[in-house]
Amino acid sequence: MATSAAEADGTRERKDVRDRWLLSAPALVLIAAASVGPLLIVLLYSFLAPGNYGDVKWEFSTEAWFNVLFSRDIFDDTVSLADAHFSIFWRSIKLAAATTALCLILGFPTAYFIASRPPHNRSIWLFLITIPFWTNMLIRTFAIQEVIRSEGLANTLLIWLGIIDAPVQMMFTDFAILLGMTYVHLPLMVLPLYASIEKLDFRLVEAAYDLYATRFKVLMRVIVPLVKPGIIAGSILVFIPALSSYVIPRVLGGGRNLMIGNLIELQFGQGRNWPLGASLSVTLVFIVMIALLFYVRNAGRPGGNAHG
Amino acid sequence: MMGVVKRFGDFQAVDDVTLEIKQNEFFTLLGPSGCGKTTLLRMIAGFEMPSEGRILLDGKDISGLLPNQRPVNTVFQNYALFPHMSVADNIGFGLKMLGRPKTEIEATVGEMLKLVRLESRGNNPVTQLSGGQQQRVALARALAPRPKVLLLDEPLSALDLKLRKSMQIELKRLQAETGITFVFVTHDQEEALTMSDRIAVMSEGKVRQVGSPWDIYDRPAERFVADFIGETNFVPGDVVSIDGGLARVKLGSGAEISATFPADLTPAGRITVVIRPEHAQVVPATGDAILKGSIDDIVYLGTDTHFHVRLDDGSLFIVRQQNARSGPCGFGEGESVGIAISDDVAQIVRD
Repeated sequence: MATSAAEADGTRERKDVRDRWLLSAPALVLIAAASVGPLLIVLLYSFLAPGNYGDVKWEFSTEAWFNVLFSRDIFDDTVSLADAHFSIFWRSIKLAAATTALCLILGFPTAYFIASRPPHNRSIWLFLITIPFWTNMLIRTFAIQEVIRSEGLANTLLIWLGIIDAPVQMMFTDFAILLGMTYVHLPLMVLPLYASIEKLDFRLVEAAYDLYATRFKVLMRVIVPLVKPGIIAGSILVFIPALSSYVIPRVLGGGRNLMIGNLIELQFGQGRNWPLGASLSVTLVFIVMIALLFYVRNAGRPGGNAHG
Repeated sequence: MMGVVKRFGDFQAVDDVTLEIKQNEFFTLLGPSGCGKTTLLRMIAGFEMPSEGRILLDGKDISGLLPNQRPVNTVFQNYALFPHMSVADNIGFGLKMLGRPKTEIEATVGEMLKLVRLESRGNNPVTQLSGGQQQRVALARALAPRPKVLLLDEPLSALDLKLRKSMQIELKRLQAETGITFVFVTHDQEEALTMSDRIAVMSEGKVRQVGSPWDIYDRPAERFVADFIGETNFVPGDVVSIDGGLARVKLGSGAEISATFPADLTPAGRITVVIRPEHAQVVPATGDAILKGSIDDIVYLGTDTHFHVRLDDGSLFIVRQQNARSGPCGFGEGESVGIAISDDVAQIVRD
């Protein structure tokens, strides 16, 4: 009797598990089709040979992966490290990290300001933060170009004020890319930060202040540790799209200051080397994954996000 | 504290408060919610700046100092412990911010843990503690830097009754052991009477009366104070004569009683006399009754019996009699009775 009862339990449990899978099946199919599927195709392409006019030849090849790291001289076939790729990847990571840092520096006071307004005013401020999202990113990027180009607003103003004599070259520099990326990604930092700071118990700030902490120490020892989940979420939301930026370096950086996104586009377009483009894409995904793991491990430390 | 005023817009939260709190005193600010007691406390802590007036500590004006510059620490109503730190780190926070050496911090934290009886909990995250334990950590954290004044903002209100009683005793013990001046804010009159050396009763931003628990309870100066603390009977009367500190008052029933009155008052004409329910006795309708009426209700409470007596003028008078003997009290509902009081229990109050 006992055995059959246990068996019945087991059957019910199996049925429960099956039902659960069935219920989540639509979501799983969608994720598989929309997210994992394309990634697998890209991964597959990275192991094929390039076609003559784009596209791929259906034969297995590791040449693309070889080309991610090394370049073969077209005349004497000597192999050297692909300096261009390394420097573009490194530049992209630096720019994305700098963008994240700038967004954090600018976004934190903004989010703190909004969170410390009376509740009925906060929605107005949040609304203002989201206004840039109403406009296409390409148009916003051109708007920045209008501000910083040699005959643009910034230079005209500075010359008019007599601070400079000749226009400063801002377009087609890393500064331009950084400015553009910070501007575009700032709301992505402010919103999760706000969500975290809004939940912060301001009595803790008072308590720290009461216990002889200076303003800076209140910030570093109480506020930052408690809003860390928001800082991490905001950093991820900024770093990942910043790393794979395409439009901004294209418009503001000109053709000379490539980022990973532009390099990949080049392979699929003029370069006609889809497998190399695919393997560069997979490398980008890999870098993002490493960055995510780093963040997640950080967040998992004791006292990290226990109060999210 | 001298002539302290705090305004929020048009609203006067604290209205011209002048108080002197003595060293090593357990001083309580008592009043209903919204009376300005917490605002007053926050001004002592430095979270609010007075709109007018000065706050002196040891003769020095501290009104302009920031909270982190005042040798004053606060125990917050909901403790406000840092959830990302251990018990020991919470307690040591103030000393760390003061830049004390590590060995000293460790020693003091150990001492504090012992003081609040949480020796074994030093390394626990504060989030794992019970309400009462968190309360004790909050106390230890505020005491660790040895402030001149410890402010307590209704620290017991979140605890259940039993825990509250034991924390009351604990607080008194801590105050005695540390010798630090405690300024305690509460709306619970019983808590205030139990713990305080002196009490300031506040309402509508003003201090109504300052005195020992006995003063406040037995010699209330104002109707508000008498009404707020404990149960009270208000009896109208006319002043007949004054002899030293005692006034002869003629009540509506025609009987004359003697009554004390606040030192700053010269009672005359129509006044109100306060008689506490436990200071009166129900007696047969004849004899030395000062008031007459009939019993509306008898409420038996085990230790006490409450008589609700409807006086001849229609008002209600409550008598609380201790049940010194077992058995029925000897009176029935609807019975005509008199009320007697002993001498010097009646007090004239300002309306």
